[in-house]
Amino acid sequence: MKKMIALMLVAMLVGIFGCTKEPQQPAGTETKPTGTEPAAKTSWMIGMSQCNLGEPWRVQMNADVKAAAEKQPELTVLFKDAQNDSLKQVSQMEEYITQGVDLIIISPKEAAPLTTVVAQAVEKGIPVIVLDRRVVGDEYTCFIGADNKKIGKAAGEWIVKKLGGKGNVVELKGLMTSTPGQDRHTGFREGIKGSDIKIIFEADMKWLEPEARKEMESALARYDNIDLVYAHNDPGAHGAYLAAQAAGREKDILFVGIDGLAHEGQMYVKEGILAASFEYPTGGKEAVETALKILHGEDVPKEITLDSTVYTADSFK
Amino acid sequence: MTLTVDTTAAPPLLLQTSDISKDFAGVTVLEKVQFDLRPGEVHILAGENGAGKSTLIKIIAGVHTEYSGQVDIQGFTVRMKNPLDAEKYGIAVIHQEMSLVPSMSVADNIFLGRENTHAFGWLNHNYQKQQAHEILRELGLEGINVSLPLEEYPISVQQMIEIAKALALKSRIIIMDEPTSALTDPEVEKLFAIIDQLKAKGCGIIYITHKMEEIYRIADRITVLRDGKYIGTADAEDLPANKLVNWMVGREITEQFPPRTGTPGAVSIRLENFSVPNPGQGAKWLAHDVSLEARAGEIIGLAGLQGSGNSALLQGIFGAYGPIAHGRVFLNDKPYTISHPRHAINSGVALLTSDRKATGLVLGMNITRNITLAALDDFSPGGWLKHGQEVDAAQKHREALRIKADRLEQEVNSLSGGNQQKVALAKWLQTKPRVLLLDEPTRGVDIGAKAEIYRLMNQWTSEGVTILLITSEMPELLAMSDRIYVMSRGKVTAHYQRGDATQEKILHAAMGHDIGLN
Amino acid sequence: MTEPKHQDTTNNSLVKFLSSPIARALFALILVIIIGLIRNADGSFFKFETHRDMLRHISRYGILACGMTIVIITAGIDLSVGSLLGITAVIFSLTTLHLGWGAFLAIPLTLLAGVGCGLMSGTLIGKFKLQPFIATLAMMVFARGVAKYITGGEKITRAIQKGNEFVYVDLPGIFAFLNSRVLNDSVAVVTIIFLICLLISWLLLDKLRWGRYLYAIGGNEEAARLSGVPVRAMKLLAYGISGFFCAVAGMCQAASEQQGDPEAGQTYELTAIAIVVIGGTNLMGGRGSIWLTLIGALTIGYLEKILSINAVSEAGRLMLTGAIIVGAVLFQGTKKR
Ligand SMILES: Nc1ncnc2c1ncn2[C@@H]1O[C@H](COP(=O)(O)OP(=O)(O)OP(=O)(O)O)[C@@H](O)[C@H]1O
Ligand SMILES: [Mg+2]
Repeated sequence: MKKMIALMLVAMLVGIFGCTKEPQQPAGTETKPTGTEPAAKTSWMIGMSQCNLGEPWRVQMNADVKAAAEKQPELTVLFKDAQNDSLKQVSQMEEYITQGVDLIIISPKEAAPLTTVVAQAVEKGIPVIVLDRRVVGDEYTCFIGADNKKIGKAAGEWIVKKLGGKGNVVELKGLMTSTPGQDRHTGFREGIKGSDIKIIFEADMKWLEPEARKEMESALARYDNIDLVYAHNDPGAHGAYLAAQAAGREKDILFVGIDGLAHEGQMYVKEGILAASFEYPTGGKEAVETALKILHGEDVPKEITLDSTVYTADSFK
Repeated sequence: MTLTVDTTAAPPLLLQTSDISKDFAGVTVLEKVQFDLRPGEVHILAGENGAGKSTLIKIIAGVHTEYSGQVDIQGFTVRMKNPLDAEKYGIAVIHQEMSLVPSMSVADNIFLGRENTHAFGWLNHNYQKQQAHEILRELGLEGINVSLPLEEYPISVQQMIEIAKALALKSRIIIMDEPTSALTDPEVEKLFAIIDQLKAKGCGIIYITHKMEEIYRIADRITVLRDGKYIGTADAEDLPANKLVNWMVGREITEQFPPRTGTPGAVSIRLENFSVPNPGQGAKWLAHDVSLEARAGEIIGLAGLQGSGNSALLQGIFGAYGPIAHGRVFLNDKPYTISHPRHAINSGVALLTSDRKATGLVLGMNITRNITLAALDDFSPGGWLKHGQEVDAAQKHREALRIKADRLEQEVNSLSGGNQQKVALAKWLQTKPRVLLLDEPTRGVDIGAKAEIYRLMNQWTSEGVTILLITSEMPELLAMSDRIYVMSRGKVTAHYQRGDATQEKILHAAMGHDIGLN
Repeated sequence: MTEPKHQDTTNNSLVKFLSSPIARALFALILVIIIGLIRNADGSFFKFETHRDMLRHISRYGILACGMTIVIITAGIDLSVGSLLGITAVIFSLTTLHLGWGAFLAIPLTLLAGVGCGLMSGTLIGKFKLQPFIATLAMMVFARGVAKYITGGEKITRAIQKGNEFVYVDLPGIFAFLNSRVLNDSVAVVTIIFLICLLISWLLLDKLRWGRYLYAIGGNEEAARLSGVPVRAMKLLAYGISGFFCAVAGMCQAASEQQGDPEAGQTYELTAIAIVVIGGTNLMGGRGSIWLTLIGALTIGYLEKILSINAVSEAGRLMLTGAIIVGAVLFQGTKKR
């Protein structure tokens, strides 16, 4: 009986591989050319190493890469997910190097552990595009990323304008032990500097909606006069909205979030739940475009900072 | 806080306790008790179940630290903070409820808490194994593999290992709380030989037992407790059995074994070539090719040494090993398929196991709930529990078996050992069995309660119940059994009618076959 | 081996009560509430809403803790509750939001999914004798994987992708209901659901034969088996019920987030275990009660609330919570065997 269960498990595993492999091979692309065509390259293989597909935003990044690559018939993209494990990501990079892909796009989990392997790839002649998070030093081909501080600052300035220079604001922070959380915080404080905006309540909500809701409930219990909630991500802003709605105060408060994903932040803005959502662009599209340039031998800048779009009610008119 | 022991001066008393009192959450269990121990003597601590014997020795052994009164060791007043302290003062204890770790190896168990280490705390495994082997050899247990986990061995061997553990301490004061309740006769003999050696070395031994014949074999002096009160101390010669019983119980007990009366009825359980396969390693069968029958109203003794297969036979019948299809079993002349305990219980079969702590009781549950556990269907029509009825039933058993407890809501692990045994018995009586399989029913039960259980066994058989009885106490076996089957190495080697059987014959059959095989 | 501390005092019922598990659990709760009275954050602690919202927030954890209590009483552990909450939240959202099923179809299906996962753990533990820790650890990882698989890693929200466009569906009535308050706005629906779960657990543990069996198995499995207790079936029951409560909590989660997040419920199992343990139910099994779990939930709930209204930093919160857990458990003297 135990054996039967074991067999069933194996069968299931095989089945699961069958399912998951499919989306990894982008539809419509032919099998990759083998060593039989040493002639001038007309098709390239790109390895994409994603640090954690557990985050929706990174799922979006992969989707963006895939969508952009599908428009370029000469590109084939392989995807690997390091499941939030730096060392796993290192070995995946090594796999790409051994395999001899033509270019690597990496969104590293952490800088230090991945620096060496990125440099190794560059040494072997494989260009590496570093996406979103940095590695140490300059042994990479191109860095593409958004700037959280810039976005935070933009949000701050937008809020100052919206509130006419003064008001009571609640700041629901992501994890203050994480760099994006710190940057979205400092950038925001820079943005509101000089205005009469008061931060009356701030708390970590760990990027989680239920936590944001809990913290907002506390803020609501404590302060009768809240003009605006600035949350470090859209789920946080939405959680705060739900808390205010439950207290019957959602009409008196504006909610601002960051990330601007289509099915999240953008939807909330469209429905009037959020006053604004600042896109944190994934850079997936830009990465593919840059890759194409590199592969065609064109020059690319060492660093590309992505622009952020603000979604407000006006964006959807 | 260290105590320098001056052995040359040899103080007259190894241990003296005076005016010891102790209560548990307001319930007094010891009241101004006196006790002392001389070098080279065996001092018996006697008393009924729940008299407070184990509690007293737990105070001496540093297990209970909150009490009033005074403990002197070799003339120094001490107050122990934990059992380790007691060890330092030269006190070794063999507790009534075993205190070993089943999953650890025999050697590790013997040296638990005082491991022999190299520098930096590395365990000196080989040395420990060697020592453990040596100690066990002294106890006549050279066959034991000290690297195997303890649980591989039957409870009697485990008990011997517990004794070995205490001896490894080389203490001067050795306390034994019912050490023989799980031992078979040859093992008891080995233990007594060791006690003699210890006495000769000048050690003092505190010995608790409910077995009269043991008391008079080894006792130098006897102290009796009753209901937590000190009754008296006397030299063994000056305290004959009837007087001792009177001290313990507070009344005369006229006859230890009430006479068996009545005539047996129809055959209620019959085994035909029944075999119990061994679920573990080793021999293929635990019991092999057993054929026997028992009638309504009969008590059938199943004699045999440890490992003879008599316990396994009862467990096999009960379904403790799961379904068995070797041979045939008939209940009231109807074929009976062995599947699992629940089926057995529903068919009127009950099994009191020999190890109440491991397999008999849920120690963390209260008395009432333990008593009703096996018959819970009767107390929960449609699945809903009837708490009131449960308490009523438990109360009846408490009175009938004289279970000494403060409240019925007490967890059974706060009961004295003998009273725990009574709770286990009550649980099976509550299932109203027609065939009662009893494996050591009077283990750890005091003399008064034993007589009570014998009387009840007579009463149940007169109501048509069949009893299959295993007991390591020969007088009990001889007096209570109508017929006796002797088993050895899984097979029935002899069958005696009441009156034919003698201790010699039974021992011969239990061992003779053994010798014949080798 | 520690003995109660009041050896030589007289026997009175107050002493008895003070040494009872309930009293010890209450002590921790009262301590936390006293902290709240002192650090009341400009009187926020005295507002009715604070307590109402605390109850709403802790309810989902409490529902998980109900199942956890039952499992722990059998001397088991269920590490999969967080993942089961996640997978059921996803299933509930997927069926109601994306497939447009009615509540009368979606709720039974979600409950079935939860119970099914629980029964799978129960089978591994009861029939194949896997250790509960291992079996439910496997289920925890597996269920999380399934949740991610069926969602493709994305949250199931009211936005549905049709080509490159997004269509938005309205919030279904059942979501709004689960996320609302009743009785004159004084209590959240999830809190009522938590209370119902407590009641179910209490009936099971205290009033039904099965409950007695669960305690017996936790206290001494072998003795229970030899007393005719159907051990396997009871383990199935325990883990199945835990799965059922996970599904209930999962639906509440989905309703309160208005989406099905495949990541939802991560580390919730730790909170659920903490609630049970702070209440004083022993991880060794055989002892404990659902009311202790209620007290544990209130203790954790108030603690979080007080830290939150005082806007204590995350680092401070973690340290304080850890300290309180140790303090509460030490006070209960769970070392008692
Ligand atoms: N931890 C405890 N809590 C409450 N009561 C206890 C506890 N331990 C022992 N008792 C009570 O103390 C009394 C004495 O128990 P003790 O174990 O000393 O008896 P005993 O003389 O050794 O009996 P036995 O011969 O049956 O082993 C009993 O009534 C028992 O119920
Ligand atoms: Mg005792």
